[in-house]
Amino acid sequence: MKILVPVKRVIDYNVKARVKADGSGMELANVKMAMNPFDEIAVEEAVRLKEAGVASEIVAVSCGEAKCQEQLRQALALGADRALLVETTVELQPLAVAKLLKAIVDREAPRLVILGKQAIDDDANQTGQMLAALLDWPQATFASKVAVRGEEIEVTREIDGGLETLAMTLPAVVTTDLRLNEPRYATLPNIMKAKKKPLETLTPAELGVDVAPRLATLKVEEPPARKAGVKVASVAELVDKLRHEAKVIP
Amino acid sequence: MASYTAPLRDMRFVYHELMDGAALRRLPGYEEIDAELVDSVLEEAAKFCEQELVPLNRPGDEEGCRFVAGEVFTPKGFKEAYAAFTAAGWSALAFDPAYGGQGLPKSLSLLVDEMLCASNVSFWLYVSLTHGAYQAMRLYADEELKARYFPKMAAGAWSGTMCLTEPHCGTDLGLLRTRAEPAPDGSYRITGTKIFITGGEHDLTENIVHLVLARLPDAPPGIKGISLFLVPKFLVHDDGSLGARNAVSCGAIEHKMGIQASATCVMNFDGATGYLIGEPHRGMRAMFAMMNTERLAMGLQAIGHAEAAYQGALAWARERLQGRAAGGAKHPEQPADPLIVHPDVRRMLLTQRALVQGMRATAAWVGEALDVALKASEAERRQQAEDFLALMTPIVKGFFTDLGFECANLGVQVMGGHGYIREHGMEQHVRDARIAQIYEGANGIQAMDLAARKLPMHEGRLAEAFFRPVNEFIAECASDARMAEFVAPLKAALERLRHAVDFVLAQREASEVGAAAYDLMHLFGYTVLAYQWAKMARIGLAKEAGEEAAFYRAKVETARFYMQRILPRSEGLAAALRAGGRSIMAFDDAGW
Amino acid sequence: MSAANKVLVIAEHDNRQLKKATLCTIRCAAQLGEVHLLIAGSGCAAAAEAASQVEGVAKVLCSDDARYAHPLAAALAPLVTSVAHGYSHLLAPATTFGKDLMPRVAAKLDVAQISDVIAIVSPDTFKRPIYAGNGIATVQSRDAIKVLTVRATAFDPAKVGAGGTALIEALAPIDVPAHTRFVGQALAASDRPELTQARVIVSGGRGLGSAENFHLLDKLADKLGAAVGASRAAVDAGFAPNDWQVGQTGKIVAPELYIAVGISGAIQHLAGMKDSKVIVANNKDPEAPIFQVADYGLVADLFQAVPELTAALG
Repeated sequence: MKILVPVKRVIDYNVKARVKADGSGMELANVKMAMNPFDEIAVEEAVRLKEAGVASEIVAVSCGEAKCQEQLRQALALGADRALLVETTVELQPLAVAKLLKAIVDREAPRLVILGKQAIDDDANQTGQMLAALLDWPQATFASKVAVRGEEIEVTREIDGGLETLAMTLPAVVTTDLRLNEPRYATLPNIMKAKKKPLETLTPAELGVDVAPRLATLKVEEPPARKAGVKVASVAELVDKLRHEAKVIP
Repeated sequence: MASYTAPLRDMRFVYHELMDGAALRRLPGYEEIDAELVDSVLEEAAKFCEQELVPLNRPGDEEGCRFVAGEVFTPKGFKEAYAAFTAAGWSALAFDPAYGGQGLPKSLSLLVDEMLCASNVSFWLYVSLTHGAYQAMRLYADEELKARYFPKMAAGAWSGTMCLTEPHCGTDLGLLRTRAEPAPDGSYRITGTKIFITGGEHDLTENIVHLVLARLPDAPPGIKGISLFLVPKFLVHDDGSLGARNAVSCGAIEHKMGIQASATCVMNFDGATGYLIGEPHRGMRAMFAMMNTERLAMGLQAIGHAEAAYQGALAWARERLQGRAAGGAKHPEQPADPLIVHPDVRRMLLTQRALVQGMRATAAWVGEALDVALKASEAERRQQAEDFLALMTPIVKGFFTDLGFECANLGVQVMGGHGYIREHGMEQHVRDARIAQIYEGANGIQAMDLAARKLPMHEGRLAEAFFRPVNEFIAECASDARMAEFVAPLKAALERLRHAVDFVLAQREASEVGAAAYDLMHLFGYTVLAYQWAKMARIGLAKEAGEEAAFYRAKVETARFYMQRILPRSEGLAAALRAGGRSIMAFDDAGW
Repeated sequence: MSAANKVLVIAEHDNRQLKKATLCTIRCAAQLGEVHLLIAGSGCAAAAEAASQVEGVAKVLCSDDARYAHPLAAALAPLVTSVAHGYSHLLAPATTFGKDLMPRVAAKLDVAQISDVIAIVSPDTFKRPIYAGNGIATVQSRDAIKVLTVRATAFDPAKVGAGGTALIEALAPIDVPAHTRFVGQALAASDRPELTQARVIVSGGRGLGSAENFHLLDKLADKLGAAVGASRAAVDAGFAPNDWQVGQTGKIVAPELYIAVGISGAIQHLAGMKDSKVIVANNKDPEAPIFQVADYGLVADLFQAVPELTAALG
């Protein structure tokens, strides 16, 4: 079974993102970039399926600027067999990425696509679901457990308030949640081997996909600053404020 | 600090921009080492250090090693971290591929070592000593020993030690008493006691490979009668499997100021089986191969502490609100301004920054020489690199470790009382950094090595390995007006150093050389850093208008700070040195 | 806003009533135009009945069929897309239900989806947090149908039973794909989120006095679906395990709501939680430094205040 693992290059998890002074977006110049943490979990899960003899080949794919190669190399160092880069400098929104991935799936014919539930930059949480829709494949989002049994995959999902288990016939799309696994470190020999693994570059035009953005970002601003705190006189007043002013409790 | 992040941007700067990593690829064996590979290795190493080793640093310091009936237990988590470290292949980084190593350049492994030191120096020591033992064996052990021991050492399954010091002799190894008696099977029986043995006993590896200095029965007295032996904790069968426990045991571990999670052991050899490394009575030569590796490594320890302390102090100075800026409030909306507005706090932070980045740049230069000495096909080029390494080893060991301590100490000072208490982990860097000025030859010995041994050697040829490239650089910059503010002080410092070297070489009395040695080592060190900062300023000026302008502008500004506020230290050193040793030596014994 | 806008809200419900997040989404939808509500379920007549009386709901589309016994995206997406073209906006709460479903719907319609909307600027322009809330983006959609998920905490819930008498219209079910089968579900009340991922954290300090007293916080945390944290002082005193520690040397957290109980507010602790969106502090010492960073401070004995607060949360 072939597994496709899409990975995204995003700001490093440990870096606190700041809004650009001109409000046009986030400050990303000189910021450390990394593989989206949920995608790292996806790569790990694919590698575990391969180690378990379930998967035979893992293909990592990334869409974006040429520097996404760094994240693909990381996926290769973690155990992916080869990589595809769909190179473009156009700002890619989830629907465009899903369409690119669909084109890749049409070419590669994987039985399973595993990807992160969301990217920690735009926090959209859409690409996996959109890809499943475009392919008319089943989807299991927010996976915390994955088991492949023949032509069926059973996925436990983290839903609000608990867990839900679905069984789907392959091919399918799975998006990962944090508790699915703990990604390994790339070993030094594997980092060196990753250099020699194939990395193919494509363009959206070659795949026949229109990636023009559907949404325009008009501005990005800082979240509202912390208001001066107040003392409340009673628990009742506190509950009232939390409910109606701060709106953080139901 | 718990918040250490590897300075990857600066590391990439020294590797790719300052040092020209592309040139390194032209050395035989390094063809595959492209920029992308270097960056991924650095990034993965950083991830491991930040996520696995940093969190163990302070708990390891609090818990320390435990000695129970001859066995040594490392603090909680060390064993798992060591297993993860070796499983990821990091122990094999710079080992020869012929023995299961990855054969990566020293220039790269030095940067990884710096991260390890900044993250958890106690952990790193277990790794570093193995590498030192490898160096000595690589040059002097016979093929049979190498084939039997290297694969396990590269895999990190076995660790190494160096056993020099005895209760009555430290620096003066000519006094050592440990005996080696030939056995009928060609091996030797080693008997004696060694102290201060880093990693002499611990629970991280299945075997420990001790390299032990001892005297054969027919040995001439003094330093010329010392041989080097390999003594394993467990004997090794021909097939590489472990055999019986050897007659070497740990008698105690030391209670000390820092590096609490590193086991500093008293080792007893009671007729232990050992194997000769190299020729009889020529053990010091082999031991120096190991020692020089370790001396350079101590410089990396210094950079690690300095970087970690700088990061911690900087974060604190940005967050902590105390007092108002001299020219009026910078942040009137807050109850006070952050510490970083105050001139003296800025002085301390910039001092740390200028020293740590200057040291890192120098270390990369040394790493490059290590690679050239190891790999270059031209003998002359290798010899030049060896000259340079011989010259720089005492400077990197003696000068860097002094600066490392200074930077750690500044970290405490910036944080005030919060630096002094244990909670934030800053005082640990001071305690851990302190040993680097002592072990592997105290810094006074390094100064003497430079002044009395390295500089006079080969009619002063070694110093030219430094003077030549600096003079060429100054000549290159002669027509660059923007470089004048950096080149002029560098040139003046170089003159001062040249005069100081001539002055010391001209001294007839050994005591005059001894009195001048330490100041000379520091004067040399500040001049080396001045050269590196001038080079970095040139790159910064060329790139400060492009992408990443802030990074390159900071290089230029730090270079300016170094030239104006740090380099003048060399004037004081030169003045003191030239005053001669009389005031030191003439002091009346009755006056103490 | 515009009479031309018609909004369909996809309800999350338990067949008997609407989930609160759906009510908040209805309130958001009402800012856009006429609100219709889609209820798909099995035996969901009661929920449709309840929905018809929610303030601002003009019509309820009810598809009551065994096929919709479980809210699977693969089953619901075809139903939603079958009616989508009569609407300018499709909204669902930004819960795991809505996040699972709406991108599938949007892709089927070949339109973008906008997640976690926290404010409506105009019928085609919305605000949403990005980069873990470090930025608030204003985005404009160029698509004919806008598909949104709505962050419930940003909108008050629409009033229930507030006199609305919306028409309930039956909607015929559509074939669902055979590729997905519901196996089971396990809803665990005590399964607390991890500290770094929790939306709400209840954190205790040395003021709790003992490990036993820390259990006071459990009940409050259960009510809020919160994780339980602790200050360094509480951990050092043995009141709480080390992996609960919030602070510079522990975990760095930034939940939407951080409730500090009996914590004085050492700088080390503040470093670990000061980016929380809303901070509540309960301490009996009015001078405790924690009050300097708290949005809401309650000077009271925690042994009275915490049970009272737990009870007040119903």
